[in-house]
Amino acid sequence: MEEKLTKIMAQILSVSESQITPNSSPDNLPTWDSLQHMNLVLAIEQSFNISFDDEEVIQMLNYEIIIETIKGKI
Amino acid sequence: MNSINNYTLGELQDYIKNYDVCNYPSLNTVILRNITVEAITPYLQYLTIQMGFQAEIVFGDYDNVLQDALSSDDRLINNSTDCIMVFTRLETLSPRLTNSFTELDEKGIEEEKDLVKNYIVSTLQGIRNKTNAIVNWHGFELPVYPAYGVADYTNSNMQTGAINELNNFLKEQLRDFKNSFFIDINASRAIVGSKNFYDNRYWHIGKAPYTLEALKEISIDNFKLFRALKGKNKKCLVLDCDNTLWGGIVGEDGLVGIKLGPNYPGSAFLAFQQEILSLFNRGIIIALCSKNNESDVLEVLDNHPHMLIKRKHISISMINWEDKASNIEKIASELNIGIDSIVFIDDNEFETNLVKKMLPLVETIHLPKGKSANYKDILASSGLFDSLTFSDEDKKRSELYKTEFARKKSKNEFSGNIESYYKSLNMLAYIDKASAKVIPRVAQLTQKTNQFNLTTKRYTESDIEGFILSEKSDVLFAELEDRFGNMGIVGVTIIHYFEDYAEIDTFLISCRVIGRGLEKVILNTCIQLAKKRNLLRVRGAYIKTAKNSQVIDFYTKNKFVIEEQDEQKVKFIFETKNKISPVPSYFKKINVKCL
Repeated sequence: MEEKLTKIMAQILSVSESQITPNSSPDNLPTWDSLQHMNLVLAIEQSFNISFDDEEVIQMLNYEIIIETIKGKI
Repeated sequence: MNSINNYTLGELQDYIKNYDVCNYPSLNTVILRNITVEAITPYLQYLTIQMGFQAEIVFGDYDNVLQDALSSDDRLINNSTDCIMVFTRLETLSPRLTNSFTELDEKGIEEEKDLVKNYIVSTLQGIRNKTNAIVNWHGFELPVYPAYGVADYTNSNMQTGAINELNNFLKEQLRDFKNSFFIDINASRAIVGSKNFYDNRYWHIGKAPYTLEALKEISIDNFKLFRALKGKNKKCLVLDCDNTLWGGIVGEDGLVGIKLGPNYPGSAFLAFQQEILSLFNRGIIIALCSKNNESDVLEVLDNHPHMLIKRKHISISMINWEDKASNIEKIASELNIGIDSIVFIDDNEFETNLVKKMLPLVETIHLPKGKSANYKDILASSGLFDSLTFSDEDKKRSELYKTEFARKKSKNEFSGNIESYYKSLNMLAYIDKASAKVIPRVAQLTQKTNQFNLTTKRYTESDIEGFILSEKSDVLFAELEDRFGNMGIVGVTIIHYFEDYAEIDTFLISCRVIGRGLEKVILNTCIQLAKKRNLLRVRGAYIKTAKNSQVIDFYTKNKFVIEEQDEQKVKFIFETKNKISPVPSYFKKINVKCL
């Protein structure tokens, strides 16, 4: 699951997979702005076939929280 | 084309990033919007690549549509803009009509409608003051849950009625402005279903109303139009027979054993055939390519009581045991059409994969086993054949291609030289200035002709009308008839006149009549028209495309000289005092009405 998420994040945020770490967040990835955050959420939902609540969507602002939120869904 | 459905957003990004588009011309797209719609970008990029262009997409600021249209700043919209997509969602434009409709009285409704109408007109005028680029304006969404519930439909002045009126107004305005089109967002919504069309979370979080599914469908709809406008729509449908046109295998099940008729399971194939016939009536060439004994297939075409597709609808058939890629190549060369204007349909994945691999330019559609009830929709939803103009020639098209075979056959049998063969055809050429009646066919030829087309400029009906009405331009059309039949309008030329010279903006003839000397007759006419206006020179140009290399020396063969040239474009000039290249002597009659 981590691998899959890393790949999606790299694709959507236009960075290499090695740049995605457990600490990745909008603070250290300049391409992770609010528009790309939306694309990221939609891409994760599409690839994992899950759906986030609106509050989850705005809280999922680093790699670890995203992983935890996905885990709670599958 | 359907493969867009197989990609996730991430995979789509990868595909776009890794695709080499450096040789593709760019399609500069500006998106004006009052919603957040940036997520549409990868879908538009993907479809642009599929069409053979590279996408340059720029967004106007959020809720800045009118300002962008009216502003004197040309950084967003300028001369190099090819198309403008407009998203004006009513929730932002007129919240009173959408969110608080029940608070409006009749006068209030009228006021709101007028507000929106003025906004439409001002925006369109603003855009047209800047550019003639294609405008695709997405219509207003009808309420999913109307303000007055079931009562909404009992009165045309309620919410649905008001929004319908605005959509009709928008359509009328777009028809009046050149090159601008209505995109029916309600149709995309109907395909996706409103429950999967909206992302209410992101509407509230970031004013982004649509799901990825919705944005994909909206993109597909836009590209049906772009393809038609850019002449990238398909011309010929090549069909397999067994388990495609009918259920079962005729070689084994026999004429009475195949599934085709008014009841299930034959009804699914009947519906599919009806869809194919609709395409035939729209001027699409129908061809067969199947592995059968030819006599078996012909027996079904001629004698099956429920067969809708008959021998007369088929322009060419390759029924043999050769591989289908070679057969499709033969079909393209016999019909004299580009391999990329062909769509191939087969239920056998081996065959569609083979064709995909050997002829990547052919669009393939695989019909999945056990899903025959969906075959009709699979074909109807593709939009691959969509065209903006329809002419009488379309209905005759297939017949025209058939007579072309008779001609070819007779040519093969002819032992004398080519001139005496042409003489034996009894060709009649007719050239005149275009009038309103022929505008659809003239526009269509500019949109579709690829091979014998010197500049490949695509024009809409309103463009052509503009040239006809202008004192400074002439639009000529040429018809050709021979002993096999009348081919209708097969040539178009657009000439612009300047102080001391005439410029040939467009010079094309249909691939059906290439090499018969008609082009010489038309060029001769152009020069005569320039002389009549006492102009000293005639200028022409060749603009290189992937398909028109055969006409690179057309002007020099006809006594023009090269004036300047670069990689993409060669300009030619002819001094009208010089001797004109003669008109071929083998025409039975040449009637130039406009001189």
